[in-house]
Amino acid sequence: MRKVLVLAVMVVAIAGLQRNALASDWNMPVGVTEISRSVYSLHMLIFWICVVIGVVVFGAMFYSLFRYRRSKGAKAAHFHEHTTVEVFWTTIPLLILVAMAVPATATLKEMYDTSESDLDVLITGHQWRWQYEYLGEGVSFFSNLSTPSAQIEGEAPKDEHYLLEVDQPLVLPVDRKVRFLTTSADVIHSWWVPAFAVKKDAMPGFINEAWTRIEEPGIYRGQCAELCGRNHGFMPVVVHAMEQDDFDAWLAERKQQAASAANSVDREWKMDELMAQGEKVYSTICAACHQAEGQGLPPTFPALAGNQALMDDLEKHIGVVLNGVSETAMPAFSGTLNPVDIAAVITYERNAWGNETGDVIQPSDIQARLSSE
Amino acid sequence: MWQVIKSVLAAFFGVQKDSRRRSDFEHGKPIVFIATGVVMALIMVGLVVSVAMMAAG
Repeated sequence: MRKVLVLAVMVVAIAGLQRNALASDWNMPVGVTEISRSVYSLHMLIFWICVVIGVVVFGAMFYSLFRYRRSKGAKAAHFHEHTTVEVFWTTIPLLILVAMAVPATATLKEMYDTSESDLDVLITGHQWRWQYEYLGEGVSFFSNLSTPSAQIEGEAPKDEHYLLEVDQPLVLPVDRKVRFLTTSADVIHSWWVPAFAVKKDAMPGFINEAWTRIEEPGIYRGQCAELCGRNHGFMPVVVHAMEQDDFDAWLAERKQQAASAANSVDREWKMDELMAQGEKVYSTICAACHQAEGQGLPPTFPALAGNQALMDDLEKHIGVVLNGVSETAMPAFSGTLNPVDIAAVITYERNAWGNETGDVIQPSDIQARLSSE
Repeated sequence: MWQVIKSVLAAFFGVQKDSRRRSDFEHGKPIVFIATGVVMALIMVGLVVSVAMMAAG
């Protein structure tokens, strides 16, 4: 009787814990989509099945060890087989597995059904940033980590969204079926937002599909979930979900920006404009390897500050940025940066940290090179 | 033949009576069991595929 009472108290205690502890940071999030909720309930269902099996199996084992111990005169039974028992303990796990597989398969089927989407977004992984392209809308941009390097190096206190904040989040409408097409420009990445229960590998040469229908406006954060190199932990995912009207306004604004950016290639740029833009581009794109002060990390990442050979050869400098250097970590930026950013960052590199070439590279020149190639 | 099928099914399930196992080893030819096992494995794959097709419907 006392044993039963103790057991009952334990069950109640565990049930009480469930409400508080399991809904906390320790458990997976319930999320804000139908799929994420069904993934969560599958997780909890299977978790409790495991708990029950664990309690029964270990309970029976520890009870037998204690109750039939040798000092109490227990004698071991010697028998070889017992077909009925064996059939029994083979059938039960089979039934449990089928009981778990049926709802899990139903959810998987839902997750893989990417048909009839309202909006398609191409997500391309780069070392180490995400690129979002709204297919058919002519809007495409990069999403870079925006956590200041002082916080990363421990020189400033870390803020709430340390390493989970970006300069430009992916913006999506709520209550719409959004299809994600994931791919990669270099190595395998994985685009992951726990609140949507979406985690999809981004692989070079492949296009994977996933989808979501967000139910609540808000900001959702995630990370790259496939080890992709030095800055794997520095390419977060941030999604800003908003009402359809707000989304339409945002998209219209982005389209306008894209149009005016195209115009700005043709005009004459001043040195200080290029330096200001170049510094921004350098710190988000180049500084990860060549370091904030251009000192590099020799021998893998050469220094740019005081690199006389490079400063004497403008043609080579432009070529390296546009086309990369084969057999090294230096990628080609002709496809990922626009002419303004390329011109600005080269101008910046040639006139910062004691490099004083005085060279001003015009976006229109870069544009001309790109179209002639 | 029915005995062979029953023994192969028992092997698929993973549980067999000791007496049946002994008699199989005394009377049957190995090649019959192997061939039956291969055929029934193919049948099972077919069954699983058709269940999956039905579920994907």
